[in-house]
Amino acid sequence: MASADKLINTDVPEKDVFAFHFLQSLSNLRKQNPFDTPDQKNYRVRKIKKAAYVSMARAAGGSSRLWSRALLRRADKDDNKIVRFSRRKWKISSKRRRSNQRAPVVEEAAERLRNLVPGGGGMETSKLMEETAHYIKCLSMQVKVMQCLVDGLSPK
Amino acid sequence: MSSRKSRSRQTGASMITDEQINDLVLQLHRLLPELANNRRSGKVSASRVLQETCSYIRNLSKEVDDLSERLSQLLESTDSAQAALIRSLLMQ
Repeated sequence: MASADKLINTDVPEKDVFAFHFLQSLSNLRKQNPFDTPDQKNYRVRKIKKAAYVSMARAAGGSSRLWSRALLRRADKDDNKIVRFSRRKWKISSKRRRSNQRAPVVEEAAERLRNLVPGGGGMETSKLMEETAHYIKCLSMQVKVMQCLVDGLSPK
Repeated sequence: MSSRKSRSRQTGASMITDEQINDLVLQLHRLLPELANNRRSGKVSASRVLQETCSYIRNLSKEVDDLSERLSQLLESTDSAQAALIRSLLMQ
């Protein structure tokens, strides 16, 4: 297969889709846990951060991407309070990855990327590139939405 | 052997070549113009792009952390009228 045929598709939804999902998540949070209890500050921050990532995964299309599926699966586990003391890493078996034949520096950087992209541990390298590009675009969009919200809410 | 099956589509060749990996990395580079802002020389190495990609993701994650903390403070004191205003602003 020619490389030109394998273009990375990184189409992502518009900003308002991310905003809608995030505001919906925040609204649900306020119903569950009133924000006016000052003794739960750290708990509230973690909830908002989780809401940001989960709503981003939903806006990106839920299970249509490996990274968004991994994020939603992780969130479900959190909700079910499954305790994990060590994080299992799914790695492509050595049979399917010729680490000896690839430049060590490239492989090392790709390994670090696997740790940063949700679900990256189980991806083939070419898939990792595609998921990384899509994930970065969605994460950038989510940051913009949150920044817009902070700017709007800040006292003038 | 791991029973986990990769959903990635297999190409005709058994394994993707180094050349194809480099090509995908360069596509990643072109798709992320923010990364290009840091570039001085025109020459691009695959490992360099990957390292910068890692840094970029970490920076974005840090921003989410900071903004979550800031939002937590703001939502503690905002009233419903202001929230409605923000909602309409975001939907523009």
